[in-house]
Amino acid sequence: MKMHDKVWFPVLYMFLATLFFSAILIVFGAFTRQRVEDNERIAFERAVLEAVPIELAKRISPAEIHRLYVENIRDATPQTGGALLYMKDDSLIAYALPLDGPGFWAPIKGVIGIAQDMRMITGIAFYEQNETPGLGGEITKPQFRNQFEGKKLATGGVPLEMRLPTEALDESSVHAITGATQTSTRFADFMNEQLRAWRATVEER
Amino acid sequence: MPGQIRTRDVVINGLWVDNPVFHQILGICSALAVTNLVINTVVMSVAVIFTTALSGFTVSLLRKWTPRVIRMMVETLIIAFYVILFDQALKAYWPDMSRSLGPYVGLIITNCIIMGRAEAFANANPPGISLLDGFFSGAGYALVLIAVSIVRELLGMGSILGIPVPFFSTQLDRWIIMVMPPGAFFTLAVIVWILRSLQQSRSGETGK
Repeated sequence: MKMHDKVWFPVLYMFLATLFFSAILIVFGAFTRQRVEDNERIAFERAVLEAVPIELAKRISPAEIHRLYVENIRDATPQTGGALLYMKDDSLIAYALPLDGPGFWAPIKGVIGIAQDMRMITGIAFYEQNETPGLGGEITKPQFRNQFEGKKLATGGVPLEMRLPTEALDESSVHAITGATQTSTRFADFMNEQLRAWRATVEER
Repeated sequence: MPGQIRTRDVVINGLWVDNPVFHQILGICSALAVTNLVINTVVMSVAVIFTTALSGFTVSLLRKWTPRVIRMMVETLIIAFYVILFDQALKAYWPDMSRSLGPYVGLIITNCIIMGRAEAFANANPPGISLLDGFFSGAGYALVLIAVSIVRELLGMGSILGIPVPFFSTQLDRWIIMVMPPGAFFTLAVIVWILRSLQQSRSGETGK
């Protein structure tokens, strides 16, 4: 009887094959892990810079993003209600509040910038989302994001209302995305909830 | 000799005669899901070509050793290996693209084209020709998908590869439904219809 025909041969074969291919993946994974983590970190830092906002060059290197971030942004403390701080010469310019909640397909993570008066929005940026490209995915496009700049959080009711593209806007509302009702409403819901919670914490202090 | 398979046949079968998408209707899930922007489709196609070609090669290389009873497990292992490799590389070196393709790269593991080629071809043929077979089956998939994505992005967004196309971006209203899931069904159905009709009329001429 050849080794090929033994009962245990398929088991051994599968074990060795799995061992071999997994080993390669583990080595490759370890080799790229740092890079993947750095990419995620840089994506977050970039979103913070874009939200407060700090003007970024079109072709900017990850190292440059990191340098700007370290120079200008201070970490969140309990006093800031989880918001990071954009400081210039020791004075506060804006808050950068990380937002995080369910989208249509997968979690949406972003950062909203609020001026030091705690009312005016300075910008918004996203660093993680998996919405439908061309529809919900449009939240990352300037057409959607630019509307937030200069808006003011309403003192009563919904801080920042999301309205149908056919409706008129006031200083505390923006237009939703056509064809992406789910993304728009879910995002508006968690954004407003977190804005309210943030305001409650910082006003208490 | 029955084992003799000509390179030319492998190329023509993969791209046209046995085209996985419009002839065998395989790989439809991703054909519908990732075709709303051309750039996503191109990267997805590269991933599929990479996987079909190299998994065909590897399956063929091991075909004399792999016990028949566990061959499908081994094939799945090999396919998953290449897909994870590609996915990880994308995450490390092209994070934006990795983010926009989301789970679809990982789902290539379940793409029936790849398993189909491993079972139908690589299991019984030498590595070199299996590599080619995988490559051209993947290319056949890519061809149809890119066609679908061009139609969808052009009508839905008025652009190709993100570059606005005159008339479509200025004169025509954006046809939103084309970038939404239903648009994929309409476009794919029409393209399969056209290509199959073409195929039938041509094979009618040659009496095949």
